[in-house]
Amino acid sequence: MLRPGGNAVITDPGGVTEFDTFTCGHCGTLVHVWPRQRPEDIGGFCRQCMKPTCPRCADDERCDPLERKLERAEARSAALKSYGL
Amino acid sequence: MANYALTNGSGTQQPTAAAYTGALLGVTAGTPGGRRIKVYDVLIGTNGLPADNFVEWSIDRVTTGSSATVVVPNPLDTADAPAVAVCTANSSTGGTVVATGQVFYVGVNQRASYRWVAAPGSELVSPAVAASGFQLRIRSGGYLGTATGTLLFQEQ
Repeated sequence: MLRPGGNAVITDPGGVTEFDTFTCGHCGTLVHVWPRQRPEDIGGFCRQCMKPTCPRCADDERCDPLERKLERAEARSAALKSYGL
Repeated sequence: MANYALTNGSGTQQPTAAAYTGALLGVTAGTPGGRRIKVYDVLIGTNGLPADNFVEWSIDRVTTGSSATVVVPNPLDTADAPAVAVCTANSSTGGTVVATGQVFYVGVNQRASYRWVAAPGSELVSPAVAASGFQLRIRSGGYLGTATGTLLFQEQ
């Protein structure tokens, strides 16, 4: 995978298996990419935020980046706190 | 932007069950001044009698962490301040898991150990909202022994 978002290693009595990973740009899910896996099987790529997406988010055509979700959660928490809740 | 190590090496490790029951490890934003938690390294394995069983590991987003057992994560740089995050290990009961919040899932043989390291910018991130964070959980239909886990995370 070109510029992977991480590296995973499974070590068992059969040997060592290594593969690339990426983190979904929309939900933050970790996706393992097996060697020679077809691109359409590992998810998609959002042309709006230019980030790879997991299979679950690839079916959703909207672009809702993880960073925006985090900011919304933090803003909601700050608002509730300001209301004394 | 300090880095911390959280392990379940201390305390009483809980047996694995066929369903997700407790949480091997948990890390949630603390209060006041909660910070974002970025998990960038995960190491998992089992320490029971070796056998061939399928073991499933999961990291899920939580909105409330476990209540016990609270542990103090070690800063990787001893000059760093203690973590603001609330960490738990070997919890027999899980927190409040977000229904669609599974961000990590891997199934491996019980004999296998697994490690994932994130490239900078590809960490598992949770918002700076009190009690929000992650839990590492395990389940297995065949393996009923104990398991080991380590999370390295960053507070921002």
